Amino acid sequence: MTQFKTKHGYEGLLIVIEGTDGSGKSTQLELLKRSIQAQSYGVIISEWKTSRLIANVIDDAKERNLLNATTYSLLYAADFADRLENTIIPALKSGFIVLLDRYYYTALARDVVRGQDIEWVKNLYDYAPEPDLVFYLDMPVDVLLKRIIGTTGLNYYESGRDVGFSSDFYKSFEIYQNKCLEQYDKMKSEYNFISIDGTKSIDEIHSIMNHEVQKILDSGVLY
Amino acid sequence: MSKLTEKHNYKGTLVCVEGIDGSGKSTQLTLLRDWLKSIGQDVIFTEWNSSELICQTTKLAKKKNMLSPRTFSLLHAVDFADRLKQVIDPALKAGFIVLADRYAYTAFARDVARGVEPQWVRNVYNFAIKPDLAIYFDINPKDSMERICANRAPKFYEAGMDLKLSNDPYESYMIFQGRVINEYQKMVDEFGLVKLDAMDSIHSKQVRIREMLKSVLNNKGVNI
Repeated sequence: MTQFKTKHGYEGLLIVIEGTDGSGKSTQLELLKRSIQAQSYGVIISEWKTSRLIANVIDDAKERNLLNATTYSLLYAADFADRLENTIIPALKSGFIVLLDRYYYTALARDVVRGQDIEWVKNLYDYAPEPDLVFYLDMPVDVLLKRIIGTTGLNYYESGRDVGFSSDFYKSFEIYQNKCLEQYDKMKSEYNFISIDGTKSIDEIHSIMNHEVQKILDSGVLY
Repeated sequence: MSKLTEKHNYKGTLVCVEGIDGSGKSTQLTLLRDWLKSIGQDVIFTEWNSSELICQTTKLAKKKNMLSPRTFSLLHAVDFADRLKQVIDPALKAGFIVLADRYAYTAFARDVARGVEPQWVRNVYNFAIKPDLAIYFDINPKDSMERICANRAPKFYEAGMDLKLSNDPYESYMIFQGRVINEYQKMVDEFGLVKLDAMDSIHSKQVRIREMLKSVLNNKGVNI
């Protein structure tokens, strides 16, 4: 049997769940974390936009409408760099399984929808390690809309109001999320996403993900 | 394609000064600004790491020594992008003379001296507008250190202490700023920076700068 090698060369594993808001990413991450933990592996979760240094600046700037498309991209890139270098890479080096709620694919989708050149955005993130697995939760916009309206409600940036597609929240959300989905669709094959129908039940989705993760674990890469 | 290598079509004029700390660039820019104002020109001044959006965060992070070279680079890019879109671009459209104390070249010099890839940081800043006049004040690390450290030790990032080149801040400063200067030297040809000797007198440098600016403005049909 050929020994499985991680794509990034670190000892640990990098596993990403991508998808638009409300697609169920955090629920799945928690489930995955528990099942990996149960097998005595070291596991941590890191979420998008949570660096101690920059996350607050982004929230504050959004609240006060201070961002243009370029500063929006760059601030998220700075947040990512800080988390990558202070959390993700050290954990990978010491052999942890790092579960990520969103990765640079999120930036690619959102920034391009905001009018940035895709090559410019790719350059911002080109130093980041390639994940071992990327799960993508595929959700139709009408289902997403219902989920979000029923839980957190529509927010300004998630609805892409800053891009100026429409001053109507519902309409703007629909256009914005559709454009994000288009970008994700383009990335599916380029980045080998394992695309999962997000309308399936929580258990079904979990078992698909677990199966893929188990294959890697069974290869003995973390022994 | 980078805007930094293409001539801009704005009505206004963009002038920037570059060089390591203690090279006298801020003094020269202040003299230029006051003179331009006194002869009734529309002029604004913008400074590196001064945007309302981010400069406090960067300063705080620097104080706590918590920045990796990449994060350091991106935070300064946020500052620059914010000032470019909010200050520099509108002022150039309105026909102002914009004086920038440091510009994208500062990032190219410092970030590369910290080990960030030259092409990466140039790509990050590819939205920057090409200045009509970019002046580089050349000084050696020793003279610079004598000027800025007359009554204080070099600061952590200014001395490149994050790179662990030496435990002695003075020695680290010399090595790190030497690297920064080396990057500036390369950019003289790459971006057409005009090199002035920082050790020349304040007066003689100011005379040269005013001459150069007059000639730039002349080419745009403005006589001062």
